[in-house]
Amino acid sequence: MRRTRSSTVASPNVSGQAYAFMAMTPVRPGEEKPLADYLRGLRDRGPSPLAKLPRTHIGRFVIVPDFHHDPTWKQRREEHLDLNYLIFTSNFDGDLDSYLDELCERLAPEAKEIWGRCVGCPESAKGAALKRYLEHNQIKTGMFFAAYGQATVGAVKSSLRQRDKLIEFAIRAQAMEPDALQKAFLSEFDAVR
Amino acid sequence: MAASVRMDLGDIQGDILRAYGNDYDCTTYAFMKIECPPEQARAWFTGVVDHVTTAAPWPPGEKPLTTLNVSVTARGLRALGVSEEVVGSFSREFRDGMSSRSALLGDVGPSDPKSWEPGLGSGDAHILLTINAQRTSDHERALGKMKAAMDAAGGLRIVYQADTELLPGSREHFGYADGFAQPAIEGTSDDKARGGGVPLKDGEWRALAPGEFILGYPDEDTRVDPKKRLPNAPAAPLGRSGTYMVWRKLYQDVALWRRVMRDAAKLYEGGDEHTLSAKVVGRWTNGAPLVKYPDKAPASFDPQTPGGNDFRYDKDKDGMRCPLGAHIRRSNPRDALGFEGHLSFRHRMIRRGMPYGKVLPEGVTADDGEDRGLVFVSFQASISRQFEGVQVQWLNAGNIFGLGHDKDFLLGDPHGTGKMTIPGKPPFFLSPQEVFVRTRGGEYLFVPGMTALAALADGTAG
Amino acid sequence: MSVQTSSPGPITATGTQPRNHDGQVIAITVFSTIKLPGRLFLPVLFQVTRRVPKLTATLRELSFIHFARWCVIGKLPYNGPPQKKGRFRYPHMYFESNFNGGWEEYIDAFSHILTSGMTAFWGTSYGFPKPLPTAPFKRYIQDNETEADHYYCAYPDATSTMIQRALELDEKLAALRRDAKRMQPDAFAAAYRAFLTDAQNAL
Ligand code: HEM
Repeated sequence: MRRTRSSTVASPNVSGQAYAFMAMTPVRPGEEKPLADYLRGLRDRGPSPLAKLPRTHIGRFVIVPDFHHDPTWKQRREEHLDLNYLIFTSNFDGDLDSYLDELCERLAPEAKEIWGRCVGCPESAKGAALKRYLEHNQIKTGMFFAAYGQATVGAVKSSLRQRDKLIEFAIRAQAMEPDALQKAFLSEFDAVR
Repeated sequence: MAASVRMDLGDIQGDILRAYGNDYDCTTYAFMKIECPPEQARAWFTGVVDHVTTAAPWPPGEKPLTTLNVSVTARGLRALGVSEEVVGSFSREFRDGMSSRSALLGDVGPSDPKSWEPGLGSGDAHILLTINAQRTSDHERALGKMKAAMDAAGGLRIVYQADTELLPGSREHFGYADGFAQPAIEGTSDDKARGGGVPLKDGEWRALAPGEFILGYPDEDTRVDPKKRLPNAPAAPLGRSGTYMVWRKLYQDVALWRRVMRDAAKLYEGGDEHTLSAKVVGRWTNGAPLVKYPDKAPASFDPQTPGGNDFRYDKDKDGMRCPLGAHIRRSNPRDALGFEGHLSFRHRMIRRGMPYGKVLPEGVTADDGEDRGLVFVSFQASISRQFEGVQVQWLNAGNIFGLGHDKDFLLGDPHGTGKMTIPGKPPFFLSPQEVFVRTRGGEYLFVPGMTALAALADGTAG
Repeated sequence: MSVQTSSPGPITATGTQPRNHDGQVIAITVFSTIKLPGRLFLPVLFQVTRRVPKLTATLRELSFIHFARWCVIGKLPYNGPPQKKGRFRYPHMYFESNFNGGWEEYIDAFSHILTSGMTAFWGTSYGFPKPLPTAPFKRYIQDNETEADHYYCAYPDATSTMIQRALELDEKLAALRRDAKRMQPDAFAAAYRAFLTDAQNAL
């Protein structure tokens, strides 16, 4: 990590060890529909590409066509987006720098289909060039709330597994005498250590 | 607000705000299909509407021998000639119908609409006639009259009929007193506010706004709206004095329930099956709530007496008396979710269920092949917020109670964790979860007010 | 309602568009346009809220949310034509939340329970109708919400509350695991019962 500890704590992008990243990039005119089709079809084609980034807790892609405007709002002027914008946000573990490295490497095939359709994205849409592009388009977080920002994806998953296992054990163990109970517990939970 | 709300009882159908309760022993639900042009159907409908029972109080000693109430599905509205535009003003879930919401409601596996009884959930049910009678003989006469009118009109067919009968002591088939815990409604049942209304911070209670149950009246949102806007409702005149109705035929596997509880109790407090079962419900068989009577049932308890339903969960946060996952605590958490009832007060419903089928004799633990269970009926202004909110977020999912994927054990959907925690020192884990209850069919309906019924009958509903 | 095969848990993510959920988790994505005072006020509000844990205590207690964020955007990074260069006329606030339960229940909870917090965060947005009554407020959110095109959660079957309880459980179980081997069976059985008693609301 490049940042000093104190600046990490102070960064509005960070809560605990969780980082809130957001990039908002202009979609090239004419590419709005192909991009939407591609993103919407990801689910049907298998696991989410974000699963290839195991530090990702939760992430999303949203194409925003425009700001909503309501004539009843007492707004002096309407304001519109000049183009469609692609929003990518991720809530992930640790520091941004290495996360973007992983993203730009592991998501190279998808990145071409995604950011490759955005204005200013380098032709290759991978590696250091893509990383620079995403960094350039980062939107700073104002406030980030994380309910369990201290826990990594790995910690969350393993504690959930452990909870399942314990429930199953607790049901099974209700009929056991102390001797058998201890043996069963040790064989179930000691080996994991 | 209480003083300002005046319900137009003559415009509201009976049995919604006030239960016919023990006044009638038998109820028949007849679902009809309209197979003729709208004009012909409306001619018949006009005759039906003339006999509908309203909520206007009966003069003393003049209780009708039978009552008649009418509700319609979205397809029924169309079959009566109501325009798409007006049908479109009804709620989404009503238009889609119950069977289209099966994944959401947990109607899967043996409860899947594919295996529902013919006539239910298939689009054939258009009109529901509900007939109550004091005695079997009256009942048969009323049914006969209804059938004669249908035959005379032609183009109408009963696609499903359920006959139900109150069990002794107002019990449901698992053996518990049922149906008395109801929401307290302003202008109607203010006296039931304690235990039936919204639990306030200072220990007081208040009745719910009538618009939570009857459309065209202020609801809980109106209460906090300076402009006093009324809740969303179908286009006039249909939106006034009406309500949405949920109808579900729930088969209860009583023998299975008894076997599971008997076997599980072997490991529980020296085989105390009676207490273990009460923990699942949250009440003793006579209706006494566990929060008030944690150790044993009071010898006599009448849930209908004033104060009988007056309790909170604030002294039982950990569920040592009434488990966090008990059926009545999940289906109406009262103050248990904290925040002055703000997470629960908009998810209340009026229940008017009736048991069907013969009682399985006490002590029998082998299935006798008899069809028995509960015809679950609820009335509410919003099916999605109230009925579905309770079914989906509270009974089928345990998260809001801190229960993970534990499901309501009484309803017995095994697709969650498959157990129920009975809090204790140490806790007891009730398992396995078996399918005690299966959905055999159901419909989302609308119960029009009297003016609306007349408009439907003469084709002026739009 | 679409059923996602990725998650075997109950369907609780109701009241929203199908692409806004992955298993139990719902995405909400909302832009609002900020009035002049908000330009100055919101950064201060964010600072203060970050520094004073008490201000997010209710949010934590409600326990619906995994992650949420607010960003004020005055101008977008420039990437060359055909993108237009320059600041927005008005700053815009981006809000996203990742939460459990139904959409309606979530908004209701915010309206009724976090009434003043909602007014603080959105009071300087154009068209914000006040959190109560809930119907106009829900309409406002719906009007300004955009459905996700792709949404992903690493543990779609879990809820925020479950995760927090499971993490607490981890610590409690670790202690029992540490001591289990050295104990006599009876002492272990007693310790195990004490552990279950202590941990029952996490199971
Ligand atoms: C065969 C299935 C069911 C059985 C045997 C059953 C049984 C019971 C019993 C014995 C009570 C306590 C008596 C009372 O409070 O009136 C009760 C209460 C209640 N049940 Fe059910 N029930 C069933 C299905 C449902 C369903 C599907 C729902 C809702 C979706 C539901 C919602 C409620 C509510 C709201 C209460 C009142 C709780 C209170 O206000 O304290 N029940 N039920």
